[in-house]
Amino acid sequence: MTEIITDPTLPILHGPSDKEKKYDRQLRLWAASGQKALEDAHILLLNSGSGTVGVETLKNLVLPGIGQFTIADANIVNESDLGVNFFLDEDSLGNSRAECCVKLLQELNPDVKGHWLPLQETHTVQNLLENDRKYTLIMYTYPIEPQDLALVQEYGNKHKVPIIAIHSAGFYSYFRTHLPGNFPIVDTHPDSTATTDLRLLTPWEELSKFANEFTSDIDNLSAHEHGHIPYLVILLHYLEKWKAEHGTLPSTYKEKTAFRATVSAGARTNNPEGGEENFDEAAAAVLKTISAPTLASSVKAVFDYKPNEFEAKSSFWIIASAVKKFYEKNKQLPLPGSVPDMKAQSTVYVRLQNIYKKKARQDVAEVLAAVRALPGGKDIDEGEVETFCKNAAFIKLIHGSEASPDNITTIAEAEAANDETAAMVGMPLSLFPIYLSLKATSHVPTACTSDILAAIDKTIPGASSNPRLAQVAEEVTRAKGGELHNISALTGGMVAQEVIKIITKQYIPIDNTCIFDGITSRTQVLRI
Amino acid sequence: MSRDYFNTQSLGVPLNRMVKEARILMVGAGGIGCELLKNLVLAGFGEVHIVDLDTIDLSNLNRQFLFRHEHIKKSKALVAKDAAHKFNPRVKLEAHHANIKDPQFNVDWFKGFTIVFNALDNLDARRHVNKMCIAADIPLIESGTTGFNGQVQVIKKGVAACYDCTPKETPKTFPVCTIRSTPSQPIHCIVWGKSYLLSEIFGASEDDSPEMDHSEDSENAQEIEKLRQEAQALKNIREAMGTDSFPQLLFDKVYKDDVVRLRSMEEMWKTRRRPEPLDYATVIEKASDAEARKDKILKDGQRVWSLEENVVVFRDSLSRLSRRMAEMKSSGEVSAEPVITFDKDDEDTLDFVTAGANLRSIVFGIETKSRFDIKQMAGNIIPAIATTNAIVAGLCVLQSYKVLRGQFGSTKEVFLSPFASERLLASDRLRAPNPDCPVCSPAQTRVLIDMSRATLGDLVDDFLKMELGYGEEIVVNHGDNLLYDLDETENLAKKLSELGIKGDSFLTIIDDNDDDPKGPRVNLILNVQES
Ligand SMILES: [Zn+2]
Repeated sequence: MTEIITDPTLPILHGPSDKEKKYDRQLRLWAASGQKALEDAHILLLNSGSGTVGVETLKNLVLPGIGQFTIADANIVNESDLGVNFFLDEDSLGNSRAECCVKLLQELNPDVKGHWLPLQETHTVQNLLENDRKYTLIMYTYPIEPQDLALVQEYGNKHKVPIIAIHSAGFYSYFRTHLPGNFPIVDTHPDSTATTDLRLLTPWEELSKFANEFTSDIDNLSAHEHGHIPYLVILLHYLEKWKAEHGTLPSTYKEKTAFRATVSAGARTNNPEGGEENFDEAAAAVLKTISAPTLASSVKAVFDYKPNEFEAKSSFWIIASAVKKFYEKNKQLPLPGSVPDMKAQSTVYVRLQNIYKKKARQDVAEVLAAVRALPGGKDIDEGEVETFCKNAAFIKLIHGSEASPDNITTIAEAEAANDETAAMVGMPLSLFPIYLSLKATSHVPTACTSDILAAIDKTIPGASSNPRLAQVAEEVTRAKGGELHNISALTGGMVAQEVIKIITKQYIPIDNTCIFDGITSRTQVLRI
Repeated sequence: MSRDYFNTQSLGVPLNRMVKEARILMVGAGGIGCELLKNLVLAGFGEVHIVDLDTIDLSNLNRQFLFRHEHIKKSKALVAKDAAHKFNPRVKLEAHHANIKDPQFNVDWFKGFTIVFNALDNLDARRHVNKMCIAADIPLIESGTTGFNGQVQVIKKGVAACYDCTPKETPKTFPVCTIRSTPSQPIHCIVWGKSYLLSEIFGASEDDSPEMDHSEDSENAQEIEKLRQEAQALKNIREAMGTDSFPQLLFDKVYKDDVVRLRSMEEMWKTRRRPEPLDYATVIEKASDAEARKDKILKDGQRVWSLEENVVVFRDSLSRLSRRMAEMKSSGEVSAEPVITFDKDDEDTLDFVTAGANLRSIVFGIETKSRFDIKQMAGNIIPAIATTNAIVAGLCVLQSYKVLRGQFGSTKEVFLSPFASERLLASDRLRAPNPDCPVCSPAQTRVLIDMSRATLGDLVDDFLKMELGYGEEIVVNHGDNLLYDLDETENLAKKLSELGIKGDSFLTIIDDNDDDPKGPRVNLILNVQES
């Protein structure tokens, strides 16, 4: 551990702690809840090969304050390690690579605890996984011994631990995440423009009453009052009129454009500006906000899913079941409760915000009551229910994946077919050959091109006749199992990003393999 | 196996040699800079110069991994250099703790590099380096990140679009009257707290603030004059700083008296809600409970504070700032009046602006905000994390290999698209320069002049007309200043040095001669150098 030296000239600290200040720039992305999850996590890296990509990934996790990490590595530091690994220096030569990397990584952040293990006959992967320590996530780098790989996979399945495999050689790399079973995410951080849910087609009583206050005598309002009616009140008013005239609400695209024209025509033009900003806002919002709420397929997938006995005990599935009940009864999801910016008097805007917030609170209360009534629902945190309701329209379930040879063949055929059209129109070609060629060297440090191609042919008969695959295999051979620091650093950035998503359970992780080509600076994500 | 065995293996001998012989300039040693320097050093680049004006702050440590706690307040450029040197002693590193806009970094100096990397966080410096690289005709690799998003772009004069080929968004500004008289959103009150309240009491005047837009001043001349008097009266209250009555004097001035005056302007409130003044004595009477919990309140920046809590923080931060002011004065190190300016990472100023802005929001019936949110809004904070920087810096180096080989055709503009499900990186082919770009489309040339002797007339007659063959109808601009045209001849007799032209000034020559059968010449950017 390095000693923490506090600069004596620093002013006495008021308010937020040193830690909050250090992490300020990232708390704005994943909030205190995400940070807590990171700080509670312990990550295991099984390191091998030239050993850089895993360490670079850890660097990007130590900096934002992961709780603990362990590196297990059989290698002793030699001269060529120094040219590729930033976390080794001249003093490291001849020592355990795991120990040296842990020492320098830990200097990056005194809040993080690092452990190391030199893999030897007496300290095997088996010992490592059998001890009492519980890992939150395991990463391993290729090449790896087949029996060690089997142990890691077994551990992951048994303890429901996510696993990430990483392979970096020369200008190529790929990583593949393996999530245990089904992986639900509540806080997917959808694009803020997608989250507006104003319920204009199904206003509740209080909202309708509020809108009527402004529009019951709309033609006699003063210029100022008329120009400051919040746009959603304008829309509610014209929707009511439309319904009175047509018997139904506008639903087709044609009806909506006609409706938009009526809204625009409502603006007063006998003023110096020749129009009204709030009416412009209303017209612009028609297509986006006037649509019946549909249940996103990802939410439907959650509602339709039958959790197994183990899963059903988790708070996610208990709340999901309560929200499903809410949806079945009310025919809509709980209201998120936020109101976008709009032209309005500030007092009116604040009232409007409060009406939406109040309704959102009522919905949360209804869901909470349902949660409490379910087995295991007594101890669930109210805040968790609230977060779930707020994000209900965007929850997502990612299904775990199992590798199967059939799947590989299907992908290979589909990618080859895509390439035929891509080549004709000058589109970039599939990166799947990179995956196949690296995969063929999963358990050997180096291989010649013909061996790589022969190994691929075993899984996908005839694949080696593809000249592009031969070319990629050639490049993998040329790298001789060596990593380029720059490629591994970049890959380490991408892997750490996925680790953060998985541990914080925020944002949607990639599903499930990302292939990187450093020659063309491209990535491709495939579900393998 | 030797140290660069794998580099030679994968890069091949010719490229590896080019990498070793390259002279690199890296502008900025922050988030991207730390990553980039590490990658450059381990890729074996021969010589790297680092320029950064900044010093290290605690909030850098979550990603700028070349720095440690004990480096806080030290030069980023120097610490980064020392840290990186350890990992490849064979690379020649040079650090400049300086502003890239300093005159020592002139066009000739830029010409000495093979590639320039921009690892900056602000528009102004990015544009400057872009301009210098266009003038020096050196390839520039420009990069940036915001949270999970990032991008990398290769810039090369005449080949690839420059930074200014597409117009950039300029920072938002607010009319003076919105900030001072008729706020309607939280941001208006925050700008008021930062650019008016704090700077009138502890700093320079609000007129210097880049967030204030004075373009509508003339339409509201009367109100502007009133506001000027009000600001003057506020300045006078500074005299009471350090006395027990200071908080009350200041509070009642800005939240009571000024509000009462505003309320009396009937015209203003016809269409808006009238502000409600606050009285210090009344509020403070109810704040004894909050006063007792002061330390707890100050630790809780995520929650929105109540009126009483805001008053307690207002009084407390005001006394902290007043004490600092008194210490600065008594230390006598600064001869001029000392100033405290807003810094998002300076707790005292942040607390004061948070409470000051929230109290004003309460007066105007506007939503109040937590200190955490106000910090972001007042400090224009951009989220930043290690992972994005690692990806972007890696992409920069990959692009540099193409630049070294002269394969500009295969360089790319790469965007990080972290939320796309099919791929994490999206790339665009190289964009051609925009023919209307004010920076890279004009012709460029340079001239050596003795600025203390030569006049503008000498430059126009001897160089532009005789040597370059321009006709009568030309316009000469220096930045936004018109120096010469057919009707503006006063400056011709003045020496160039008197006109503010120094080494490395850029003049723009516009040809207005429409009669020429070939049409007027394209604009010329003239880089003036001291002979
Ligand atoms: Zn340009």
